[in-house]
Amino acid sequence: MQLRRTRRSGIRTRGAQGALAALAVVVAGIVATLAPAGRAAANTEASSRLTIFREPSTGNAGITVIHPQVDASAALGSTFNINAGYEVDIVSGATPRIFGPSSGVDAVSGATKFSDVRQEVKGGFDFIRATSGLSASYSYGWESDYKSSAISAASRSDLVDHNFTLGVGYTHNFDTVCDANNAAALGQPLNLQPLASSAHCFQSGMTDVTTHRLTIDTFEPSLTWTATPRFVVQGGTTIQILDGFQSNPYRAVLVGSQHRTPQEHMPNFRQRYAVFGRGAYALPDARASLTGGIRLYRDSWAVMAETAELNYNQYVQQNFLFTLRGRYHQQTGASFYRTSRDYQTLGPAGQYWTGDRELSPMSNFLGSAKLAYVRRPGQERSAWFSELEFSGKFETLFYHLDSADAPNYDRKVAYIGQTSFALRF
Amino acid sequence: MPSPFTFKRALLLALAFGLFTTGCATATAGASWTVKPHQRELLADKIMNLDGDPQERAADQHMLANREGAIGGSGTSGGGCGCN
Repeated sequence: MQLRRTRRSGIRTRGAQGALAALAVVVAGIVATLAPAGRAAANTEASSRLTIFREPSTGNAGITVIHPQVDASAALGSTFNINAGYEVDIVSGATPRIFGPSSGVDAVSGATKFSDVRQEVKGGFDFIRATSGLSASYSYGWESDYKSSAISAASRSDLVDHNFTLGVGYTHNFDTVCDANNAAALGQPLNLQPLASSAHCFQSGMTDVTTHRLTIDTFEPSLTWTATPRFVVQGGTTIQILDGFQSNPYRAVLVGSQHRTPQEHMPNFRQRYAVFGRGAYALPDARASLTGGIRLYRDSWAVMAETAELNYNQYVQQNFLFTLRGRYHQQTGASFYRTSRDYQTLGPAGQYWTGDRELSPMSNFLGSAKLAYVRRPGQERSAWFSELEFSGKFETLFYHLDSADAPNYDRKVAYIGQTSFALRF
Repeated sequence: MPSPFTFKRALLLALAFGLFTTGCATATAGASWTVKPHQRELLADKIMNLDGDPQERAADQHMLANREGAIGGSGTSGGGCGCN
């Protein structure tokens, strides 16, 4: 019942929040456009990056994601930049189709192998002036069962001799999700059947599948303060509203003692809020800096989280930059989340059920080390670029779940390797 | 097991961040509360950029958004279901 009240309340305020976000971006854009012109910082750059994510499992093949991406931006005059990018997620592995107990007489069967490819193209522009900036972009992502379009706009205005920067960002997503045609369920969540395959998705004339809409509005204002010649701090907030189908269409959940396995069922509406503070502190004697921040989060599904991050950046010799990163995140579970054992013995908490690790009480720690080679030829006569950077990074992500009957309990660690190359002119 | 989120904990975290901010500002403050253009040499270095490399940041957020229930609202598009 609490969820239903939250949802109705959210619908009443949704229009006002969207209008407020749009108004803020428009006002900030006008401020940026009317601000005095001056020397700006348009630049030309090309960069590529390859990320490999590997999450092994003690029970199956785990998950592997290969993520190449390329981006380019070009200066058109001193105040205008255009940019474009392309990225791919090549996902493969195995995951259980049914969230249920992994042991005992009611243990669910093993994982099902899968593979998918997601691609995304994007393009945009930046209009940069001495004390302000305005940017806009569009991206389109597609995979066999999901399509996403997003438009973004952001602005910044420098105030008080560049000592403060006011930033506003807004993004609107128009997403489409493929799902099994559950018309026969007659609106009864326990009768919903999961999607068996994406083979017929987004094809006309197919009666076994259907599509759902998901819209996402994200509004993020921030204020940055240059506190001292060696310290910058930023505070801000994030408001995100999601409206539409948010379940994993393939996933089923074992619910109740009668062995029913309906499709995962989540509320269609979600409001998410976060406040954050970040800072960067220079250590000139050591040719180093400390950066980091904290974030507090809660949403209308009763997920509450705290995240803290600290980075140490150190120049080594003339051309190397070494970075150490530590990040800790902990969260509570959604109000309708239960362990697989509790879903079976106690039944669902209301009309919703999920087998998503993101919605379970959990914590994780990310440790990272990165080494970058940075070359800046400066005033050398032969220089045809301003900066060249080649970097390699390795990260380990440790998960901590509070129950052996939590989703993906068999995956306790993930490894991320990343390499990049960038050339700036 | 993660400890429960409470208003008291949020307040303590906010207070800690405020103290850290004030402490750093006090420890390094010059004569004036505004930083002049000629004092920005250190701030201009890339290691002082709060966002880091935009491409790297986008890749990191894309990865974490699929593995945590809390997001920072970076407007990451897509999502799908295969990454869980």
